[in-house]
Amino acid sequence: MMTESEILERTVVIGNELGLHARVATAMVQTMKNHSCHVTLVKNGMEVDARSVLGLLLLAATPGSELIVRAHGPGSQEAVEQISRLLENNGSDHVR
Amino acid sequence: MVQTMSDKQTVTPENGSQEFPQNTILKGVGVSVGIGIGQVVVMDRLVTEICPCRILTPEEIGDELARFENAVQEAEKRLNTIKSHIVADHPLGDHSYILDTHILLLRDKMLYEGTRRGIEQGRQNAEWALSEVMSRISTAFESVDDEYIRERAKDVYFVGERVLRLLLGVSTEKKIHQLPGNSILVVHDLSPADAAQIKRESVLAIATDIGGRTSHSAIMSRSLKIPAVTGLEKICRMVKTGDTIIVDGSTGLVILNPDAEMMFRYRQRQDLLRNYHQSLLAYGRLPAVTRDGSRTIKILANIELVDEIDIALAHGCEGIGLFRTEYLFLGREDLPSEEEQFEAYRAVLALNKPSPVTIRTLDIGGDKIASSLNLPPETNPAMGLRAIRLCLNLKGLFKTQLRAILRAAHYGNCRLLVPMISCITEIHSTKAIIAEVKAELGSEGVQFGEDTKFGILVEVPAAVAIADLLAREVDFFSIGTNDLIQYALAIDRLNEHVNYLYDTLHPAVLRLIRQVVNAGQAYGVSVAMCGEMAGDPVNVPILVGLGIDELSMNALSIPLVKKLIRSISYDDCLELTHQAFQMQSAQEIHDFLEKWIFEKFPGDYFLSQQ
Repeated sequence: MMTESEILERTVVIGNELGLHARVATAMVQTMKNHSCHVTLVKNGMEVDARSVLGLLLLAATPGSELIVRAHGPGSQEAVEQISRLLENNGSDHVR
Repeated sequence: MVQTMSDKQTVTPENGSQEFPQNTILKGVGVSVGIGIGQVVVMDRLVTEICPCRILTPEEIGDELARFENAVQEAEKRLNTIKSHIVADHPLGDHSYILDTHILLLRDKMLYEGTRRGIEQGRQNAEWALSEVMSRISTAFESVDDEYIRERAKDVYFVGERVLRLLLGVSTEKKIHQLPGNSILVVHDLSPADAAQIKRESVLAIATDIGGRTSHSAIMSRSLKIPAVTGLEKICRMVKTGDTIIVDGSTGLVILNPDAEMMFRYRQRQDLLRNYHQSLLAYGRLPAVTRDGSRTIKILANIELVDEIDIALAHGCEGIGLFRTEYLFLGREDLPSEEEQFEAYRAVLALNKPSPVTIRTLDIGGDKIASSLNLPPETNPAMGLRAIRLCLNLKGLFKTQLRAILRAAHYGNCRLLVPMISCITEIHSTKAIIAEVKAELGSEGVQFGEDTKFGILVEVPAAVAIADLLAREVDFFSIGTNDLIQYALAIDRLNEHVNYLYDTLHPAVLRLIRQVVNAGQAYGVSVAMCGEMAGDPVNVPILVGLGIDELSMNALSIPLVKKLIRSISYDDCLELTHQAFQMQSAQEIHDFLEKWIFEKFPGDYFLSQQ
């Protein structure tokens, strides 16, 4: 059982041919509406809120790049799962 | 090198305009002939450039936050309305997510909280705080390497501008329809939606910073008979509202601070031109039969607005060869209903009866974006989801338009024209939808034009290559030269750096046209041409020689084209065409055709160039 102060991290590789584009960012922010935990994405030292489409886009995460999903707070485990899944196969039907 | 859309040069903002010496001459591209002399009205596109800045008193901060919140809520409401229309109209295809993105952006931390911070901590008024945040965000986007991501700065502007307009209390459209009389409209660029709002009687001329001869603003200015010069680069910054300028759409010159003598010279030329055009009108009433009587070409008009029919009929059109329907969809936030479309189509059909009216189904996408569709920006829109591709994708939208057209067809002589066909499957899919719509109308007991002719716009080189296959499927072909040339020569016609390569008379273009005509003749399918090429007097003899059955053009060109056809013999046209096909370059062909016209019709040649 996790405590609220625990920070969860997972490294994911972007698995979509356009990278972290507007559609994925939109899906991610919508996903985050179901969660109350705090989730950020980190790339090359830049950390952005998973609730901000603009922040996510500004990461300029191209296909194949590596990101860290970082979360803390209630339900982080599940949020990290869902966010990682979106990043890894982009939430659309383009299975690679 | 091919340039992408995002490479457009930027204009450096300078505050106010400086005083220029008398008779300062600017050189642009003359895109619509005629001369305009009058007072400038500068209309800038982005409201971000006109936003007022004010430091708030501490007491005002609460109200200002509430004002901002209201604007955001209203913007959310409107975006949701648009979204609900779309959901109702088609199975949410691939593109509605962009609306969700825009809705989320309204509350995005960077944009929303950034603005609130500006109000609370910076004591900025909401407009100021928001535009500052918008420009900060777009600077951040500009430094991103990835071109796709960089383009998203546009979404920030789309959303931010919506809120700004609500804050400023300005409508979501530019107020072009409210221009004072005798204005010379100066804008950075003119979108088709802006152009559609222009009233002929209040605008004397148009001058823009960007655009080329075949941009949509150019085509619109020509059809509205308004002299226009584009590609002036910085005219928006060089003149201010109230300045007197001369716009010469024939030579592409704009004269700032004209002195009395310059004004006098231009007024004289204006009179000369007016008299010439008056004298040509008589030819409009006559049929376009070659001098020897062996060939008759039907001459029709291209229009975009129902209001243009009067001008078209006055110039002697024998029907409408191209009714562009996009303008019903542009410059608004929702989609036009079936009834609204039906009324527009019926009006055009009834006013032309029994002459034919060719209605082109929605040709949107590319450089024409309907805000109601909220299409995501594409990196290569000319080759993206547009025209028939978009319609087959948004079937609900397409069916609504087809219902309106088929119902209106009952009231006149209607021909249905489908744009951008590139393969036979698209024809089959389109016909299946038409059959479906007819069956529905039939079972509802609604009257419709059962025998509406079906044709395709031949504008993709692939369609030319398989014209023999496509001919078996259609009642008529219409060659859309503007796009055909753009695709065949790989020239972006809106890019002022390469549009000099856009050659109507390129030997490749002439061969493509010949191939379409041959296929049409082999299968008994009539071949029309509706691009800009059809209305240029220099091209008339070769088009007659090639065997085109119908030419559809800007109404103003009709009298002169009829005069020329009536003055030449079919044999001469065949001989001229044969010679042109021996030539190797566009320049050579152009010089040859121009010389031919010049020697036979020196007066018309000079005056038509004015």
